[in-house]
Amino acid sequence: MAKTYDYLFKLLLIGDSGVGKTCVLFRFSEDAFNTTFISTIGIDFKIRTIELDGKKIKLQIWDTAGQERFRTITTAYYRGAMGIMLVYDVTNDKSFENIKNWIRNIEENASADVEKMLLGNKCELTDKRQVTKERGEQLAVEYGIKFMETSAKSSINVEEAFYTLARDIKAKMEKKLEASNPPKGGGHQLKASEPQRKPPSWLARCTIL
Amino acid sequence: MSILRKKLSEFDDILNADEIDTVSLGKICFHGVPDEPGGLRPLCWKLLLNYLPPKRSSWLETLKRKRELYNTFIEDLIVMPGESNAEDKERVDVTLHDHPLNLNPDSKWQTYFKDNEVLLQIDKDVRRLCPDISFFQQGTDYPCQKIVSANGQQRLHNRVQHTVLKSANVERKGLGITKIAVSVRKAAEDYAPLTEGGEAHWEVLERILFLYAKLNPGQGYVQGMNEIVGPIYHAFACDPDPTWRKHAEADTFFCFTNLMAEIRDFFIKTLDEAEFGINSMMSKLTNQVRANDPDVWLRLHQQELCPQYYSFRWLTLLLSQEFPLPDVMRIWDSLFADESRFSFLIHICCAMILLLRDQLLTGDFAANVKLLQNFPSMDIQIVLSKAAALAGKTL
Repeated sequence: MAKTYDYLFKLLLIGDSGVGKTCVLFRFSEDAFNTTFISTIGIDFKIRTIELDGKKIKLQIWDTAGQERFRTITTAYYRGAMGIMLVYDVTNDKSFENIKNWIRNIEENASADVEKMLLGNKCELTDKRQVTKERGEQLAVEYGIKFMETSAKSSINVEEAFYTLARDIKAKMEKKLEASNPPKGGGHQLKASEPQRKPPSWLARCTIL
Repeated sequence: MSILRKKLSEFDDILNADEIDTVSLGKICFHGVPDEPGGLRPLCWKLLLNYLPPKRSSWLETLKRKRELYNTFIEDLIVMPGESNAEDKERVDVTLHDHPLNLNPDSKWQTYFKDNEVLLQIDKDVRRLCPDISFFQQGTDYPCQKIVSANGQQRLHNRVQHTVLKSANVERKGLGITKIAVSVRKAAEDYAPLTEGGEAHWEVLERILFLYAKLNPGQGYVQGMNEIVGPIYHAFACDPDPTWRKHAEADTFFCFTNLMAEIRDFFIKTLDEAEFGINSMMSKLTNQVRANDPDVWLRLHQQELCPQYYSFRWLTLLLSQEFPLPDVMRIWDSLFADESRFSFLIHICCAMILLLRDQLLTGDFAANVKLLQNFPSMDIQIVLSKAAALAGKTL
């Protein structure tokens, strides 16, 4: 069977219950918003293929349950994940405080070089906000990961977030490929003629919130 | 005589006996309890879940005792414990010994704050239960009077409501004219609590789950319990007989508690590996698929499509998230009637997989996960008949 994609990336969404993981994913995979989601039990699954620098990238995204009880079930997915979205709710301080516990979970269960990204969701609820954008940025800097505020409801930054994560994974992967077998002018997934990667364009994306 | 009429008279015969034959009741309920005339299913479930004893003459006393007990739970655990009532001549000054910043683990305030964490989780979940039907957002005819007429103080969701300090932009222009822009946000929440004196069904469920968590501290509240209590409450709260309907809350609480006693291992992480824990249920399912259709088993195995990806939810929630509510009710008739508790559940899950055989054998990993996580709508009778065949029964 012919492959319909160049790369397959496995991504994972984690974070406290009710921060909007399922809604973020639904926005990204179906470009729609639904307020009437049931709680996720165990693990859910969505797929979307995107294109980056002429490459088709199939994103296999696992959506997890937030509550402690499901930790053993969900941590089983950490190992295979190449990218992890850590999601909190800007209107819920506790969910932000818990990010450090989720990071610890990743450190214990995921592979060391997994790409991570921090998302502060529900940023459209300005009058309910409990976590400032600065605190989110600061935490992200502390962990050396990227950060965006998103709104699944108003469709802010969701697309950008997944593209950013995918782009970082792709860059890392291509660097690894290059290191293991340097391009000899053709045939491989990396074309020799391909221009060197520009200074990452996510930098621009990331700061425009 | 039509088939339905014949069936109804069979139900009548069994249910009207002085001492109900639970074996016969189980047998007949296994084939489904008729939706019409209403009232049959809630009664049968109360019997199958061992809430009502087989002896009819003891029902009145049992119900009275249980319902009073439930009221005591509300009184002791929700209508604030330790709160001095007006009849007390001497009002005890609790602030001397206890206060909100008291770090003593025995402090009532500590308990209160801990409870609120549990409550917050319950609150989130009952507000997203069965969103495809409006039932749970509607008001109940029988709100709990002690709660709804207390100026909102005893309302559980009030304890976990977000309160945010409001800010406004102040603009000053020239001559000291001040303009304060206050944005007024109108929340159009579907699951809004009802006003004083009224109560939505989801608020009732919140109370049931909170009491259950308080009374079962080793287990507490686990996500998904809302999906178990929902269909039971729905059945009881729609009972056409008001003398039953009126007590839907208390009756649901005890039936839910009894049901949880049988499936609680699914909800406890430390028991995942135990004999009746969720992992053993999932391997039973895998083995059954393997025995009945090696091709499908091999396919899923080669794709590394683990049963956790789909059947964890199927089993934990007794399939309540996989089918529309009327179908879930029909499935539960058979499950509650299953004498070897919940082995029929495995048969149903196995049947569901086998019915998708052709698609699973051609689909890739992603297509198959999606298919199993979103079971296509089909006549529930087809699924149940297949499951019965696997169990060596007819349906």
